[in-house]
Amino acid sequence: MSVLEVKHLRKSFGSVKAVQDISFAVEGGEVFTIIGPNGAGKTTTLEMIEGLVKPDGGSISFGGLTWEKDAETIKKMIGVQPQSESMFDLLTPKENLELFASFYDRPMRPVEILETVNLLDHCNKKVKVLSGGQRQRLAIGLAMIGDPKILFLDEPTTGLDPQSRRNIWDIVLRLKEMGKTTILTTHYMEEAEKLSDRVCIVDQGKVIALDTPSALIGKLTEERELRLSFFDGEEAAMDVERFVRAHSWAVRMERDGKYLAVWTVQPEDMLHSLFGYTKERGYRVDQVSIREMSLEDVFIACTGKEWRD
Amino acid sequence: MNRGNQLKQMFLSQSRMLLREKQVWFWGIFFPVILMVIFMVIFSDGSDDEFRVKVVLAEKEGAESAALRERIKHIPVFEFVEADPVPVEKAENMVKEKEAAAAIVLSGEGEPVTLIVNKENERSTSSMTVQGILNQLVQQANLEAAGASPVYQMQTMSVSSGEDDLDYQDFLLTGMIALSIAQGGIFGMVDFVEMRRKGLLKRLRMTPAKMGLFGFSDMLVRFIFSVFQIILLSLIGVFFFGATLHVEPVSLIIIFVIGIMAFHAIGYFFSSFSKTSEAFFGVANIVNFLMMFLSGVFFPIESMPGWLQPVSDILPLTYFVNGLRDSMVYAQGVATLPFWIGIGVLVVWGAAAFALGTLLYRNNRSIAAR
Repeated sequence: MSVLEVKHLRKSFGSVKAVQDISFAVEGGEVFTIIGPNGAGKTTTLEMIEGLVKPDGGSISFGGLTWEKDAETIKKMIGVQPQSESMFDLLTPKENLELFASFYDRPMRPVEILETVNLLDHCNKKVKVLSGGQRQRLAIGLAMIGDPKILFLDEPTTGLDPQSRRNIWDIVLRLKEMGKTTILTTHYMEEAEKLSDRVCIVDQGKVIALDTPSALIGKLTEERELRLSFFDGEEAAMDVERFVRAHSWAVRMERDGKYLAVWTVQPEDMLHSLFGYTKERGYRVDQVSIREMSLEDVFIACTGKEWRD
Repeated sequence: MNRGNQLKQMFLSQSRMLLREKQVWFWGIFFPVILMVIFMVIFSDGSDDEFRVKVVLAEKEGAESAALRERIKHIPVFEFVEADPVPVEKAENMVKEKEAAAAIVLSGEGEPVTLIVNKENERSTSSMTVQGILNQLVQQANLEAAGASPVYQMQTMSVSSGEDDLDYQDFLLTGMIALSIAQGGIFGMVDFVEMRRKGLLKRLRMTPAKMGLFGFSDMLVRFIFSVFQIILLSLIGVFFFGATLHVEPVSLIIIFVIGIMAFHAIGYFFSSFSKTSEAFFGVANIVNFLMMFLSGVFFPIESMPGWLQPVSDILPLTYFVNGLRDSMVYAQGVATLPFWIGIGVLVVWGAAAFALGTLLYRNNRSIAAR
C-alpha cells in the first residue's frame, strides 16, 4: 500500500508556475528520488508534501491522512531534513537532538541517532564549529529523531566532498535497512542511480519520467558507445575505421589520432569481428571500453537539457 | 505529548543559547556596566570628596590687609597653593600657567581687591565660585566697617519629591537599568531574524513542537536575564557608588513586566521586516540612540531644549525610566496617576508594535516558505 500519494499537484507564485501537474505514489520502505534541474519545482513539491506550502490544487494523502484534517498526526509520522541548515548553532549536536526529541511522543534516543549518523565523536562540540558534512549528518539525524515512517531529505549531499557524500549514502542505505521510506531530492545522478528504488524526473513542474533507474536507462536506447585506442598509432586506427564502415555497424563514428569512438546498436557482434580483424592484421589494442548509459543520458534524452550540477 | 518535558527542554536550550551568545554578554552586561561606571565617575561628585578651588594670595607692596587676609584664609572652599602671600607678578604667572585657578590680590584700604583669573576659564565654575565668595566677603567687610549687621541672609536647600538623600547616582542607576532592559528587549529579538533567515522557524513548524510554548519559554528566559541585569546593576550602583534605593515592590514588578514586554514587542516588530541581522541592527541602533539620549536616562528631560521635549514625551523609554525611578528611588506606589499613564503608554507601544509585527510576519509567510 502506498504510504504517500500525490495527485495533480499545482502551485504558482505570482505569475511563476512552480508546479504544474505532479502525481506519484510512494511505497513503504522504498527510496524514492526526485531529480530535475534547478527551478524544476522539486523543493516546492516537497514543501507542499511537508505541509509548509498550501497547494493551489491537487491532493496529498499519507495513507488516507491529509494536512487539512490530520496535521498533528502527519507531523508525528514524518521527519524532514530541509535544504537550509536549520539547527541551533550555539547548541551541541546532542543538545539539538534532545530538544527535538522532546517534541515527539516516542522519540529515538539521541545517542542512538548520533551513532547512526556517525557523530558520537563530535556530540559535545557546538554545531557552529562542525564541518559541512557533519552538519548535514546532524540535519538527517534531527529528521530521524521522532522515529518517523517517512523521511524527506532535500538535497542532503549538495556541496559536500566525495567522502562526506559517501557517508550520507551509507546513512540512507541504513535507513532503508531500518524499513524507513525515504523521499530524496538530489543534484547528483550517480547518487540517484546508487540509492533509489525508483526515480521521478521532474522538469518545468511536471513529471516526465518515473521508474526504477535500470528500467529508465533500459527504455532509453539500445545504442552503446565503444572506445578503442591502438599501440600502432593513427594508421591502425584508420584501417579499423575503414573495416567498421565497410560492415555498416556504426551509427556514428569519430576518430582523433589513434583514438576511435564508435556508436553502435550491435556492440557484441561488432567487437567479435573487430578483434578477429585486429588479430589478423597484427594490431595491438591499447584500450577498449563500452560506456554504460547512465541516468544522466536519460535525463538529457527526456528534457533535452544538459545536466548541470 | 509531554508538555512539561517539552517546556523544560526548550527552556534549557534557550538558556544555553542566551548564555553562549557573546553579543548578549556584551550588550546586556558589560556595556551597561561600563557605561554606568564611566558616567558615575565623571558626573557624580563623590560625597566625601568636597569641592575645592586652588587659589593664590598676592599682596601689593605696603598693603594693610591682614584682617581681610585672615578671613579669606578661613574659607573652606579655598585651597592655597602658597602658604604666604606672593608678589603680584608671580601670582599672575601662576594663574597663566594654571597652577592656580585664581589669584586674589589684596591692597591697602580704599583700593579694590583684584581677582585675577585665566581668560580661558573666565566662565568656569571655579572662577565664578571664587568671584561670588569674594564679592560676598568684601560686602560683609564693608558692612562691618560701617558698623551694620546684615538684615537678609541666604541658605540653599536641595529638595526632591522623594527621600532627602536623592543623588545623581540614584538617578543614573535607575536610568541605566531601564536602558539596559530596553536594549536587551529590542536587540534580543535579532534571534528571530536569524532563526527566520536560517529557516529554523520553518523547521520547527515541520515538527509537532508547540510554537506557543517555544515563544513562552523564550520570554521566560529573557525575563530571568533581565532580573539578573537589574540586580547586578543595582549592586554595583549601591556598593561602588553609594546609590540609595527605596524600592516599592508592587509598582516595580508591574513596570518591570510591562516594560520588558513592550520593548520585546518593539524588537519583534523590527524583526518582522528585517531580512538580515545587519538590517535589523541598523534600524534598532538608530532607535536605540534616539531613545538613549532623549528619554532622560543620563540627564533630566527638563534640561533639554524646549522644542525637543515633545519628542521625549512620545518615546516609550521615557515612561519606562520614569516608572523605574518612581518605584526604585522615590518609593512611589501604584496609587499615582503618572504611574498608570506610563503603564498605558508602554502598553500602547507594545500592543501596536506586536500587532504590526504579527501582520508583517503573516504577509511575508508565503515568501518565507518559498
